[in-house]
Amino acid sequence: MNENSSARLKRRLTGIVYRIGLFLAMLTICLPGLWIVLSSLRPTVEIMAKPPVWIPQEISFDAYVAMFSGIGKGGIPVIEYFRNSLIISVTSTIIAVAIGMAGGYAFARYRFRGKSSVFLGLMLTRTVPGIALSLPLFFLYVRLGIIDTHFGLILAYVALNVPFTIWLIDGFFRQVPKDLAEAAQIDGCTRWQAFWQVEFPLAGPGIASAAIFAFLTCWNEFALASQLTRSVSAKTLPVGLLDYTAEFTIDWRGMCALAVVMIIPALTLTYIVQKHLVGGLTSGAVKG
Amino acid sequence: MKGFKPSAPFLLLLPAVIVLAAVVVVPLLLSLYSSFTPFRLTRPETFFVFVGFKNYLSILSNTDFWWAFGRTVLLLTIALNLEMLLGLGLAMLVEKATRGQRILRTLMMFPMMFSPILVGFQFKFMFNDNIGLVNNALQSLGITQDAIPWLIESHLAFIAISIAEIWSSTAIFAILILAGLLAMPKEPIEAARVDGCTPWQTFRYVTWPFVMPFAYIAMTIRSLDVARAYDIVKIMTDGGPAGRTELLWTLVARTAYSDGRMGMANAMAYFSILLSIAFTVYFFNKLAAARTQIGAEW
Repeated sequence: MNENSSARLKRRLTGIVYRIGLFLAMLTICLPGLWIVLSSLRPTVEIMAKPPVWIPQEISFDAYVAMFSGIGKGGIPVIEYFRNSLIISVTSTIIAVAIGMAGGYAFARYRFRGKSSVFLGLMLTRTVPGIALSLPLFFLYVRLGIIDTHFGLILAYVALNVPFTIWLIDGFFRQVPKDLAEAAQIDGCTRWQAFWQVEFPLAGPGIASAAIFAFLTCWNEFALASQLTRSVSAKTLPVGLLDYTAEFTIDWRGMCALAVVMIIPALTLTYIVQKHLVGGLTSGAVKG
Repeated sequence: MKGFKPSAPFLLLLPAVIVLAAVVVVPLLLSLYSSFTPFRLTRPETFFVFVGFKNYLSILSNTDFWWAFGRTVLLLTIALNLEMLLGLGLAMLVEKATRGQRILRTLMMFPMMFSPILVGFQFKFMFNDNIGLVNNALQSLGITQDAIPWLIESHLAFIAISIAEIWSSTAIFAILILAGLLAMPKEPIEAARVDGCTPWQTFRYVTWPFVMPFAYIAMTIRSLDVARAYDIVKIMTDGGPAGRTELLWTLVARTAYSDGRMGMANAMAYFSILLSIAFTVYFFNKLAAARTQIGAEW
């Protein structure tokens, strides 16, 4: 009896400790983001207050209004940056996924010599730090006259994304059983038809999430964009964020508001694809 | 048709190879060449002067460079190991949850959605000595009266940067290790328990070997963009105070764009490229080894 109740007590204690641990972990993860959202809605006076004001006294959307009302009203050209970001990210994503589908299919469906080293070679091109790559690209782009253009950045981002889209899409094609495409071919499809009518629809959700992943990489990229763009005509949002920092002062509230604007598309898209993303990266981890 | 077949994968991979050759390989060869010249942006004619290993030799005797190099390796070692441990812990916490696992999983991925530049900015805000959340909290709780100069004192700045880096990337480990835990068959664990293994033994000899490939995938992905730390440092301290948090990448950027010494910067960049490649190859090999260990075909 005594042993029983002590075991029960122990179990209950473990349960409580576990809940507290989980709560603390989740708090650490979420707090920084929530703090940004909260700060973007508070007046600057409250952010700067000493001693700190913990409970917001008033909530306003002034920072967002100011941001989108253009230059001269305390805002930065957010709309232009947003448009640049969108054009560059979408275009380079589409191209990277097309190339990635071809490459991924080759890795998933064919056996060829040096497969593993070709794969590693592709990955290695991705390891080159953005800033190290930006040096020769900067020089080349100036020579070719494509510095500070959408085209230049799109080209760089396609190359940045191709290795990763190949990895992901390779994983998704591996999950589609080979027999299905073979059955379709026996029924009279060409390999091309079998691909588009059988394998592509099955791997579709996975490919979509590879696309979203590529989109997010472009959307968030900073090191290359900060060196290869100069003006409003090509600067992207992450580079635009720096517009809020002057030499000695930082418009914290404005920056928080822009951060929220940047994070919302990323948040939504990541939420949609999370399941597929993990599946694609890990397929082949346990079974070939 | 049959003679044509072997070249199908070649054709399929061709576009990828062309793009990567044009945007990565050729520019890198160019930068390799210019690392042997005293090239300065302001004086284009210096591009054609060949000086051999002069840049590399002057790097070797450049203490700033070695400090940045050491600091980069230290940051990566601390960050990657802690991320791995915390990620494992987080994954096991979430796996244990009986209710609301979907919500927990989504929350867990939250930091992954932040671009490094946002992470840098967010922690710069939180660690601000005057209005930051961290100091405000410490002062309100009465732990300290002074404003702790988080981003101004060099050691504290390094800690702040590590925290930002770890916060942003633990999620990658957690999510992939969790995928491993969820994919794991339950019978071996039960068998181990029946055979009288302690929880530690069960974890060490049953769970861990199974989860290891997933951890190495996370490591490989992470090592593909270790240079993300550039964005974080650039925003948080910009290498300051007085170059005390300068990493390899910020040093390269400063040498190239602020000082305009492209030749020298390219020589430095090659060190950072080699560092990244070494990381990736190492983890890629580990991944391959872990895969064969549990009998998977590559």
